[in-house]
Formats: sequence, C-alpha cells, structure tokens
Amino acid sequence: MVISGMGVISACGKNISETLNTFASGRRNGSKVTLLETKLKYPVFEVKGLSGSDGEAMRTLELAFAAVKQALEDSGLEDKLNDFRIGVCLGTTVASQLNDTDFYREYKNTGSAPLHSVERYLKGNLAEAVSGKIGASGLSCTVVNACSSGTDAIGVGLSWLRADLCDIVICGGADELNRVPLAGFGSLGVVSDSLCKPFDKERSGLNLGEGAGVIVIEKEEICRKRGKKAQIFLRGYGLAADAYHLTAPRPDGSGLEAALARAMDEAGIKPSQVVFVNAHGTATPDNDLVEGKVLSRVFGMGLKFLSTKGYTGHTLGAAGGIEAVFTAIGLREGWVPQSVGFEKADDVIGISPVTQKTVISGQYAISTSLAFGGNNSAIVIAKG
Amino acid sequence: MNIAGIGVVFNRGRGVQSLEKALEEGWVPPEDSTYSVPADTLKDKSVLKEMRRADDFSKMACLAAYDAFADSGLGDGVKSSLGIILASAFGPHVTTFRFLDEILDYGDANVSPTIFSHSVHNAAASYIALALGARGPTLTVTQFAYSFHQALIIAQAWLRERRCEYILVGSTDQCGTVMEYICRQKLRLAEDGKIKPFLFSQTPYAVPGEGSAFFLVTEGKTEKRYCSVLAQTVGTPDMYLLDSDGMAGDEKCYLKIAKGGIPVASYTPIFGSMLTVSSFSCAAAALMLKKQRHYASPVQDNPFGANICRLTEEKETESVACVRHNCGIERSQITLKR
Repeated sequence: MVISGMGVISACGKNISETLNTFASGRRNGSKVTLLETKLKYPVFEVKGLSGSDGEAMRTLELAFAAVKQALEDSGLEDKLNDFRIGVCLGTTVASQLNDTDFYREYKNTGSAPLHSVERYLKGNLAEAVSGKIGASGLSCTVVNACSSGTDAIGVGLSWLRADLCDIVICGGADELNRVPLAGFGSLGVVSDSLCKPFDKERSGLNLGEGAGVIVIEKEEICRKRGKKAQIFLRGYGLAADAYHLTAPRPDGSGLEAALARAMDEAGIKPSQVVFVNAHGTATPDNDLVEGKVLSRVFGMGLKFLSTKGYTGHTLGAAGGIEAVFTAIGLREGWVPQSVGFEKADDVIGISPVTQKTVISGQYAISTSLAFGGNNSAIVIAKG
Repeated sequence: MNIAGIGVVFNRGRGVQSLEKALEEGWVPPEDSTYSVPADTLKDKSVLKEMRRADDFSKMACLAAYDAFADSGLGDGVKSSLGIILASAFGPHVTTFRFLDEILDYGDANVSPTIFSHSVHNAAASYIALALGARGPTLTVTQFAYSFHQALIIAQAWLRERRCEYILVGSTDQCGTVMEYICRQKLRLAEDGKIKPFLFSQTPYAVPGEGSAFFLVTEGKTEKRYCSVLAQTVGTPDMYLLDSDGMAGDEKCYLKIAKGGIPVASYTPIFGSMLTVSSFSCAAAALMLKKQRHYASPVQDNPFGANICRLTEEKETESVACVRHNCGIERSQITLKR
C-alpha cells in the first residue's frame, strides 16, 4: 500500500520541516511541565503553542487534527474525500479515558458534578471525532493498545485495505500530556528525573511527551488514478503477544521477534534488507535491554538503529504514528538523526544506536512498538 | 467466519448455560438499580490464579474469554495462533476513578502503580493472553456505539490474512457508581428496572448493565460450531434482534425494521443497557441458531403492534440479524447464519 501523505506534530516540530531541522541540530526540547498542575518534577516534551486549542475539544483531538490536516494536504486528498471510502483508524491512550480530575473531585465531594467534561469525552472518541471532522464515510476505529496503539492502528488500516473495506485509510496515533499517565508511570518507577537516554548504559527511564503522527495509506491503483506519485510504501505489519506480565516485557523477547518476523514476511524481505530500525527505545532498563537484544539477534550487530524518543519523549498512543512518519521521512531523505541521549554503550545490551546524523541507502526500514501488557508491533516501510 | 465457542459474564451468571437459562426464564428485575455482575460470579481461583490483584473489568473479560475458548473444545495446541480482540465503549473506568482517588487523596507522587496499570484499556486483553498463554496478535479497540462491530470486522480481516487461525473476539463494559450517575443525568432510567425495547421511543428507558461476552471465531473447521458470521448481508433474515436498550438515544429508527413484518426480538432487558450490548445479542442469536429455538422477548410492551417473538419454542431458523442504531444516525448489523 502506498503512503501518500504524512503529518506529524511533537515537541521536536509542528510539521515535517520543523522536525527535520530539529533532527539535524540534535536539539532536545524537553522541559518542566507547564501544561498541567502537578508537583512532579519530571522533564516532559510538550508541544508549545498548539493552535486551535480553545478548550472545547480534548487536546489529543487538537493534536490529531493538526497531523491529519498535514497528511491530507500532503496526499492531495483535502477536496476529494467524498470520492472515496475513507477509513480512520487512530491509536490513543489518554483520549479513551474519562479521567477529568475536576469533574471527579466535585462528584466525589458532593455526589454530583456538571457534565461538561463528560460531554467533551463523549464527543472525543479519537477516530470518530476525526472521521466526523473531515466527513469521512468509511470505517472508523480507535485502537487502545497502550504504547503500541499508533503502530497497531496503522496495522488495522492495512488490514482494512487488504480486505477491500476502504479505498484509503487515515491512520496513526495521538496523545496529549496528561496528569494520569504522568503520575502512573511515575509510580511504576519508570520515569527519569533527567532527559532520557535510550539504550545508554546509564539510562534511568522515560520522559513523557505528546503529539500526533498520521499517515494516509491507499491502494496503489487508486493512488495512480489520482495522479499522485507513489514513493513510500507500507509493506508489512506484525503483532504478537508476550503473554508474560502486565507491565514487564518477556525477557527472551520472543514476542517482539515474532512481530518482526511476521512484518518482514508480509513485506517479503529478509533482515539483511532492512537499512535501519526506528526502535521503540523508551530508555527504561527493561525495554531497551529486551529490544536491543532482539534487534542484534535478528538483524546482526551492524544494524543501524535509533530511538527518536530523545527528541519527542514517549508519546504513548501517538508514538507508533509519529515514529512511522519519522521512519518514512528517514527513507525519503536518506538520513536518520543521531539517537539523541545515547552516550555510553551498554555491554549487556551489546548493540548501540547511531550516535550521529547517519546517511542511509536502501529500500526498507522498520518501526517497532512495545507496549504495556506485552504487545509487540512492527511495521515495514519501503522506498519505491 | 464461524463461531465455535461462546463465553458470557453478566448479571445472571457466567457461561453459555447461564445465558440459555436466562433466555428461557425471561425477565427478572435487577436486585439494585443496575444489572451488575454479582461478586461471586467473578470468583474462580483456577482461571484467575495469576490475577489476584486484577480489577473486575479484567476479571469479567478474562472469564468470558476463557469460557469461550473452553466452550470451543479446542486444545492447547492452537494457542500459538490464537489472537484476541477486545472491544469496549468505556474501558476500565471504575479503575480510572480509583486512580483519581489516589491522586486526589495522596497526591501525584504517592499513587498506586497497581491501580494505574489496571486503568489502562488493554490490561484486560493482556490478562486474557496471560491466562490462556495466547501468543497471537492482541488488540483492544474502543468506540461508543459500535466497538464490538469494529472488533468483528477486524477479526474477519485478520483471519483472511491468516494473521492467526483462531480469535477470541468480544466486548467488556462495566458500570460503577460514577457511570450510573452519568447515566442518570443523561438517560431516562426505568425505575421499575425494565427496559422496554419495543416502545421505539425518542426518550427510551434504560437500566445500566455490565458484563462481557466473547466468541471463539475461526475460518477453519472445528468440532463444535454455533453458526457463521456473514461478512455481507444477503437477503432477509428470519428474525431481527434489536439492540434497543435506551443507551443510544432516539429509538424510533428501530420501528422501520419492526414494521417490516419479519419477527423481531430483543433481549436487552436481560442484559441491561450497554453500548456493547450487541455482543450479548450476538450470543443469544448464536444460541438460537444452534438450538433451533426461539426465545420469547423478555419484555413485551408493544404499542406499535410489532411482530415480536412472544413464545419460547423450537423453530427452524436459518439466519438472525442483530441490529444496533446510534441515535438514528448510523446503523450496524451483524448477521449470523445457521
């Protein structure tokens, strides 16, 4: 399937152009929390100056709308949405939860509370809201697979196209910075007090971020008929469960390995054809250890890989969408940025990410996502 | 694809036998203001041995999924190719509110990691994978009106892609005190505990419910089989099951179906009002097709004279369509065939 449009917004840029500038500079825009009240001092990656955020819609929706708008412009579909069966499949975590503390505090204290935030929540199912906003007539579905939601939403979009349920699918993920995951991940002891260091020997946990990443995927014949040049493709998707633990990855990494195998099998490629991997790389001790070992086992010690969470923080349900866009633009531009935050190799992991802006040449790249509950996902993206 | 196993957890118990018994017995009033799942129903030391700290949402889902797998008669050998798709309208919101309690009572830095990890939507699906040792793809989806329908569509696509050979697909939704408060503010709750699905009212009666219904589906041959789920609706069914439960607003739109002359039934008064009630209707329809038996509509107030199913009796039935409307805006249908 062709990736005919892309849109992205995160702390490292409000569009692809700004993102590439940040990647080239190696700049990190992490800072203290300003978007919400909390006593927690963890650094976070916020999107500053988000336009259109008037409080009427959930912030996650505003982030998603921004990325969708870019993706539709890029695909040339803005004024052609009525001509096709357009599906919308987006991943999120925060937007799926009714977790408004003001509403709940008042309910808890008085036994009743105004329903503004409930109404906002009921209008805020991510895929339904985006579908309604752009007037899409096809399927819509919100994936809530925790940190792999964005990748899995892209995978569902691929399945819809293969089953001929849609002509075109808008897919990816969006999530806002929110007090509940900030406190929750903090309680799990996986949040770092300093800027995160994916795959580094001294990594001490993740930083939370926010954003949205969206791609438009469509059948090649439709893309061709529209007169759109096909350059980047979605070739495969794999998803496998660890069936091991609610919050820890399976130590042998066999779930991730199965997801990678399936994705490459669908793409019809071998590991040696993969020119780089945009890893999940959260900078937690467990994730990076398991993921790094699997990457070296599957692709060999010479693999070029990186984590972009040093630029964006962990954007949870958005991460898979954002990193799919990053992977695609890496292939398109012919380079990937340094895996920022990484300094010291970890002998236990045995493999290290790229430490500088790195030129890549080749056809295939992979983006991985690992999630709470033991979900492992991978997509294969190709340059035409 | 075929339904090879069913598992349900609801107000009247757990398992296909409980479902069948409830359909035979008809309506009984809820013990309190909602059709909640009794605490005893969620006790099972064998299935839930790894889930001592799990919340009720995960337990409901896990028990229903486990029962669907057991009901199918499939052995452990299929678990490497067993996928899971869980649909929910609201997810484990009771646990989310418990986590907000923690934030409000103890502050952001002193909250419970256990409660947080269970407030994540996909915790339940992960527990199912853990309990069954299922290593296939695991997905949780949410939508307010049609999440179960979306899950079925994805299941069908996955099976055709051979992403896995067997899938446990189902729904789970929970009703806690906050949700009951929201329902009370937004819906017209029936004080007598009786959903009246054939009033076709703009302001229908609702009685919040909760539970989980799961199905083991496959394209392959299995010893046990309830019915097929059709990807496309062809012709007219022998019966419509209406998901009119007072939860999705204006129900006038169901009247068009009811006036069509084809028999209609609705079992929502047994399950309670849930945005994912379609999965329970689907379970009832599958049972009807397997047993070749019609079950009387449990509440038969019928001012429009619809051709409702009044009697429980043996009756040859080829296909049943479960219909869900979303405030008259959209309609979704699941058609099951013998």
